[in-house]
This record gives sequence, structure tokens and C-alpha cells, in this order.
Amino acid sequence: MDRDNELESRIDEILKAEKENKIPRMTKRDYIIAAVITVISLLGIIGGFLL
Amino acid sequence: MSRKHDVNKEIENEVYCGTLPVLPKERKYGFMDALLVLSGYCIATWSYTQGSYLATLVGFKQLLIGAFLAAIFMLMIYQLPVILSVRYGIDIWIWLRSVFGPKGNKIVTIIIILVNFPWYAVCCELFADSMENLLELFGIHLFNGAHLVLSLSCVVIGTVIALRGVSTITWTTRILVPLLLLVGVAVVVVGFTSVPMDVIWNYQPQLAGDADKTVNYVLTIEANFAFVITLVGGMAEVPRLCKSEKSGYYAGVLGQGAAGSFFVVVGAVMAIAMQYVTGKMVDDPTLMMATLSAPILGLSSLLLVAFANIGTQAVGSYIYGVMLKSTFKKSSYKLLVLVLGIYVALLCVWGKITEYFGSFLTIGACVYAPLAALLFVDFFLIRKQKLDLKSAYELPGHNAYQYSKGFNIVGIICLALGFGFTLLIYDPIQGIIHNKILFMLTPTFASFIFTGVLYLLLSRIPGIRRYIRRDTHASPDKRPFDRAKTPPRQNLFMLPILWLICKITVSPYKLKIDKHNMEGIKPPFLVYGSHNSFMDFYVTPLALKPYRANYISELEGFEAFGEWIYRQIGCLGTRKFINDQYLIKNIRKVIERGDVMVIYPEARYANVGTNSHLTPSIAKLAKILKVPVVTINMQGNYLQQPIWNLKERKGARLHADLKCVVTKDEIDKLSVDEILSRIFKELTYDEYKYQLDNNIVIDDEWRAEGLHYPLYRCRKCGRDFAMTTSGSKIACKYCGDSYNMDELGRLHSPSGETIHIPDWYEWQRGFVHEEVREGKYKLDIPVRIWALPNSVNFVDCGEGRLIHDNSGFSLEFDNYRTEKHETLKFSAKSMVSLHTEYDYRGKYGPCITLSTYDDTFFIYPTDESRDVFNPTKIQFATEFLGGLYK
Repeated sequence: MDRDNELESRIDEILKAEKENKIPRMTKRDYIIAAVITVISLLGIIGGFLL
Repeated sequence: MSRKHDVNKEIENEVYCGTLPVLPKERKYGFMDALLVLSGYCIATWSYTQGSYLATLVGFKQLLIGAFLAAIFMLMIYQLPVILSVRYGIDIWIWLRSVFGPKGNKIVTIIIILVNFPWYAVCCELFADSMENLLELFGIHLFNGAHLVLSLSCVVIGTVIALRGVSTITWTTRILVPLLLLVGVAVVVVGFTSVPMDVIWNYQPQLAGDADKTVNYVLTIEANFAFVITLVGGMAEVPRLCKSEKSGYYAGVLGQGAAGSFFVVVGAVMAIAMQYVTGKMVDDPTLMMATLSAPILGLSSLLLVAFANIGTQAVGSYIYGVMLKSTFKKSSYKLLVLVLGIYVALLCVWGKITEYFGSFLTIGACVYAPLAALLFVDFFLIRKQKLDLKSAYELPGHNAYQYSKGFNIVGIICLALGFGFTLLIYDPIQGIIHNKILFMLTPTFASFIFTGVLYLLLSRIPGIRRYIRRDTHASPDKRPFDRAKTPPRQNLFMLPILWLICKITVSPYKLKIDKHNMEGIKPPFLVYGSHNSFMDFYVTPLALKPYRANYISELEGFEAFGEWIYRQIGCLGTRKFINDQYLIKNIRKVIERGDVMVIYPEARYANVGTNSHLTPSIAKLAKILKVPVVTINMQGNYLQQPIWNLKERKGARLHADLKCVVTKDEIDKLSVDEILSRIFKELTYDEYKYQLDNNIVIDDEWRAEGLHYPLYRCRKCGRDFAMTTSGSKIACKYCGDSYNMDELGRLHSPSGETIHIPDWYEWQRGFVHEEVREGKYKLDIPVRIWALPNSVNFVDCGEGRLIHDNSGFSLEFDNYRTEKHETLKFSAKSMVSLHTEYDYRGKYGPCITLSTYDDTFFIYPTDESRDVFNPTKIQFATEFLGGLYK
């Protein structure tokens, strides 16, 4: 029972933290950088066929 | 307290704490911390096996591309859902409950362990190889079967360490990671200094005559995809400890994609160097160091590698033991670790895990690729980055992820099909390519794409969407429905399918259609139809065949069947009893492009098979559009499925009259009243009279069940909400007055009185009018509210309060749009009628709906108000207050 209560209060705290952005989110810029790296990696893989 | 008890307690605590969401203040890892931890996990002796395997396939340059770029490419995609782990402080095993259901997740956990654990057999094999090779260097020849004894001893020692619990494992890890780094550094130094650099740089494998270089390169990419993808299982618990999403994500990408891949390349360099020196390619760092440098270096590295392999085995047993324990809570941790040990031991006895290294990698990826796709699509495209945590943790009362008895059938089917799809492309055991085009994408990536697209498409099917999105309350789609969007013409390809479905649906009821004054009437024209049940939507297209038509539909139909399909069959979405100017615009567009526009002007199903009053606006619309007006009066549709009991009655017989009531020449000449009167005349109906006149026998024993919703007032004692129904009987629960419904739809009292159902219905209306006139009518009750903003989902608004009196409705609730407690007002004069349901979708019970431009609120009684909530009475009052009845 104690464990259930602890779990529930933790979940509430996590949801509150989510709303308040306490854990810094990936920004649009981060996603764009990730996309660029992904595309460069893909181009590199395709380039590997030419070697 | 015994040691045994200590370990069990420790593990239980570890499992408990290991599954709790980690709070922001408890997070330990920044980017560098997480990177080091994850790098430590990725560096194991199996990296050398991977490196030497790649060196048998491609030259060094292609190997570098495969090891780094392929790994990073896959990780950049595969690690994205890690963001959720960081955001909620949970590991993926908790999240997977939403994808597979809690019980389905158990099966997936077992599958993951089955495909992952051969890694540890590789460790044991390497341990045995190292020992044998070193002893051979010192001239000691071992007996037959010594290899198996050595590999099993690695299993046994690793298992014993894992059984000793958390503290032993912590120390093992502390020693293990530096040791592996030390071995790695030694291998790099020896590998790069013992052979000329250009030998490594220009290395090309000696391929068999029939080997295809392109296929080998693809196999390299595949091996790297598989390598990084299958390691994730053991790393799933780290991101939840990270302080930011970016650090968790990039630590995962670089931990494997840079550090892990570096050691793969080191393994390849070692293998190439050994081949250059000895002519034989090996994956054993001990043998390499002993051969390429000095035996003493080999001897010291033996101890390092031996411990590293045992340590890796121990840590693996521990991680997966804890993972199993969190899934199978009642099982003993020790038993689970022993089972894992036996599984590795069996693989060692089999003895071919190194030989089939590539195969086992691909088989692992066959499971992981669809799993990764499911996580990716689920997180970003289906759940839109929101999870119902309470349901994921199965807290009491939170059952969104229980699905079908704990299994998400859709997720499990997608996983199975994704697995099968990989095997259709490539047979990893025999190494046979079945489909070369898809093989070029690599089996792992092709399966990833296939599974992701499949899951996404399935999630777009309304029934399946509702099944997998039972957690919409956690992340509802709040975008309002686009009422302004021009409806497409009825899709020509869909039309035959629609007619076929309609034909099949009506066939048991022997539909007969009569057309009157329809000679020469061609689109565009306006159709006004009677509205009795969903059967109307099957009868109308058949009556209008061969013409295309557009229909006005309430938004909930879009939600039920899907917006795309509803638009293809020509539906215009709107909300009931609002002043929707976009709807008028779209109706005009339909007519201007030469189609048929079908409107059901009552805007609600007939409660007892009789028509409602109509407003002059429908005649005004006809005059504005200047097209012929056609009516379709459908009989039998109500009898077949009355709104108060949606079970189908097989005895019903259908008939429809299609009639042109105003021609194009007449439309300008006739007044609004004249047009309205013609329409009203044709749309006047009484389904029970039709039943009686045509002797339509409906003999279902349950034929009266639900009739108490429209007939709620006792004719004898005069109490409201007094009636109950059972079988063919309707009775008052207070005075006992009862009637039996005969097979022709009439009600008979025991004293011989016969009642025509619509008469009873209209008799009640009079009392409500009286109450309103005397100012006595007032409803003030607690209600449960769901909002329908669009064609995607309902939004749970919780409990609120509904007040209905002479001024209209007021609805007090927590408005999800403004996130404030608000009261919405709906004035009495703004609503000529009200949408009501008696058992919404056959399972949600009675409700009424109130609409704004952006929301339809479905309002249900609570347990407290159930006895005084009757949609019929509320409708009577609304229609009287709105001026529809005087």
C-alpha cells in the first residue's frame, strides 16, 4: 500500500515537472541538428557503395 | 539474517527502485556521465568478434563507414524515443506496456532475452579461446572437450557473481570497465605498431569466387545496424537518470556510435594485423598480443580478458535477471539467474555461436527492428510524446493499457509481421537473399520501415485507433474539426463499394424503393430525408443510384468511421443545432458542382418512429439554391433498429419513397411556406402505423427492452422516470401498471386497453410543456462530460454540472481548452431541438449533446443523477423552449 502511494505521488510529481519543463526538452534546433547528422550518415553509407 | 535473505531483499529493493519513475531532483547524469556509463556497457570483448567478422566481408574503408556511419545513422533514429525515458524517468520496459500490454510485454521481454543472450555465449567462447590459445603458446595441449569445460566455467563463475547481488556486481563493474579499456588500449597500440599503416588502410578481404562485393557491403551495414540495435536492451535503464533529454539522447548515440564502434574497428585492425602476420584471421585479443608482441604481454592480457569476459557475463546475468524479476515479480531472482545461466550453457554446448555470429545478429535485429519501429511510431506519431504513466504502472483504476486481457493485439501482430518481413527479405541462417531490392535497404532497416508504416496505417483505422489509444485523456488531440474544408465529391472508386455494402446490408430486409415524379430530375438537386436510424445511410445511396451525393453528418460519425473514409463517401461534417455558416457554404459548393445534396432536416433519429416538426429554414435553403427538391421517406428503418435498443430486428421490412416535391421551375414561384408544407407532407411518417398496415411481425422476445427511455412517464400514477422494460413488457416500478408489446408494435394492458406508442410519447410532451409554462421545469444535476473536438478523439472533461431551465442550458465544468473551471451557456432560443442518445454506441448509456463551434459535449448522468436524467424529457423541454412546438 505504501509503495502504491509512493508510486502515485512520484507519478504526480513527474507529471507536474513535465508541465513545468523541469527536465529540459529537445528543442526544434536539436531535432534539426539530429536530422542533419542522420542525413549526413545516410549519404556516407550510400557513398560507401562507390568504394 | 542469512546471506540468502539479504540478496533476495536487495534484489527486490533494486527491482522496486529500479522501476520507479526517477524524479528530476534525483537525476545523476549529465551528458558526460551518461556517455561514460553507456560507453562502458558497449565496450566488451564481443566488439572484437564484430570487428573481425566485418573484416571478412569488406575492405578497411568500407568497414570504417559501416562501423561509424551505419551505427550513428541507426542510433540517431533508434535512440529518439529515449527522450520519453528521460522525460518521465522510466525505462523502456515500463513504456513497452503501452505498446504490447502488460502481459504482452512479458512475452516480448522473454523474446528479447532469447535473442540477446547469445552475446554472453560469445563472451564465454572468447574466454575459452583465450585460455586455450595462451596455454598452447606455452606448449600445453588440452584434452578433447576442454574448450567446452572452459566456456562453461565462465558461465558458472559469471552466474555465481550475479547471484551474489548488487554490491558484488557494483564492484565487478568498477573493475570491469577500466580493464576493458586497458585491453582496448593495448590492442590498439600493438595492432597499429606491429604492421605498416598502409596494410591496414588498403586492406581488402580475400573473397570467395562467387562473393558479391555489394552484398558484402550491405551485410556490413546490416551487421552494424544489428549490433547497435540489439545492445539497447541492456542500456534501457540509463536514460531515465539523465538530467536533460538532449544528454540522454546524444549519450546513447555516441556511447554506442562512437565509443562502441571504435572498439569494433579496433577488433578489425587486430584481425587484419593477425592475418597479415600469420595468414589467419582471429578475434582473440590475447592471441594477437602474444603473437604480435611478447608472450608475457599475452599472459598479462589473458588475466584481463579472462576477467573481462567473466565480468561481462556476470553483469549481463544480473541486468537481465533484474529485468526478468521486474516482469515476473513472483519468481525468485536466483531462479531467474540460474535459468539464464542454463540458457548460455546450452548455447556453449551447441558450440557454434561464433560461427553463426552474423546470423544471430540478424535474427536479433529481426526482433529489435520492428520493436524499434513500434517505439518510434508509438511515441512520435500515435501517442504524440505523451504516456499515461498511471496506466503504464497499472495503478488501480487506470486500465488504459490492459487492452485484450493484458495483450495489445495490434502491437504484437505488428511485431510478428515485422519479424516475418525480415525473413522474407533475407534468410540469416542460410545467408540466402530472397529480395535483392529490399535487401539493399538492409533487412533491419526495411523491417523498421515496414513495421513503422504498418503500425501507423493501422492506427489510422478508427476502431484500431480507439483500441490502441485508450489513453487519449493523457494526450488528447484538441485541434478543432475543420468545418470550412471543402468536402470532396463522392469518390467514384468508392461508389460501387458503397452501393455493394448498402445492398448487402439492406438485403435481409427486402428493401423496396418507389420513385415518384422523378422523370427528368437530374443533379444538381436537394434531397430531404426522414431520419430513423443508421439504416437511412444505407437506403439513401441505393435510392439515389446512379448519382453521386454528399451527406451532412454529425462529427461523431467521422470519429467512429474515420475522417478520410467519411469524406470519400461524401460526408460534410458539422455539429448539431449550431449556426454553421461554413456548412451552408459547402452545401452551395456541392450544388454548384452539379451533385446531389442530402440533408436529414430533423437532425436526429425519431424516438418512437414519428417525424419531428420542421423549421422554415429548410425551405429557405431550397429557394437560395434554386434546384429541385426531392424527399425520401424511408419506412421500416426505425422498426429495424430503434434508437432505444440498437439490436437489429430481423422481421423488419424496408420501403422508401423518393419523390420530387418542387421542380426547378416551381422553386422561384412557390413561397417558403408552400415549399415547407410540401416537404412536411412527404416527410410525415408513423412507423408503427406502417408496421400495422403492412402486418410486419417483429417477434423478438426482447422487443420492448429500452422502450422506457422514450416512454418514461407512467400513464397511471403519472410519475416521471418510472418505467422499466423487460422482454416484451413495459411496467411502472412504482404502481406496477404494465403493458405488453405485441408483434405488431402495439401496447396492451392486462385490462385490454391498447396504446399506440407515439400517442404515449406525445402525451408526455404535454406535461413537459405545462411544466415549462408554469416555470416549474428545472434540471440541476451532476454530469459526466466528454468533449469531441474533432474526428480523432473524445476528451474526458470529468464531472461537471448541468442546469436546464427556461433560460436554456448551462454547463459548468473544467474546460480542457482553457484549463479553467467555466460555465458555458446555451440560450433556449438558440436550440430548436437536442441530440439525444439512449445507449450511446450500445455501451455508454443515455446522453445528450451540446455543441459549440469547436466542441460537441457528450453529457452523461453520474450514478447520483442517473434516476432523474432522461434525454427524452430534456428534449421535449428544449424543443418547446426553442419554439419548435407551441
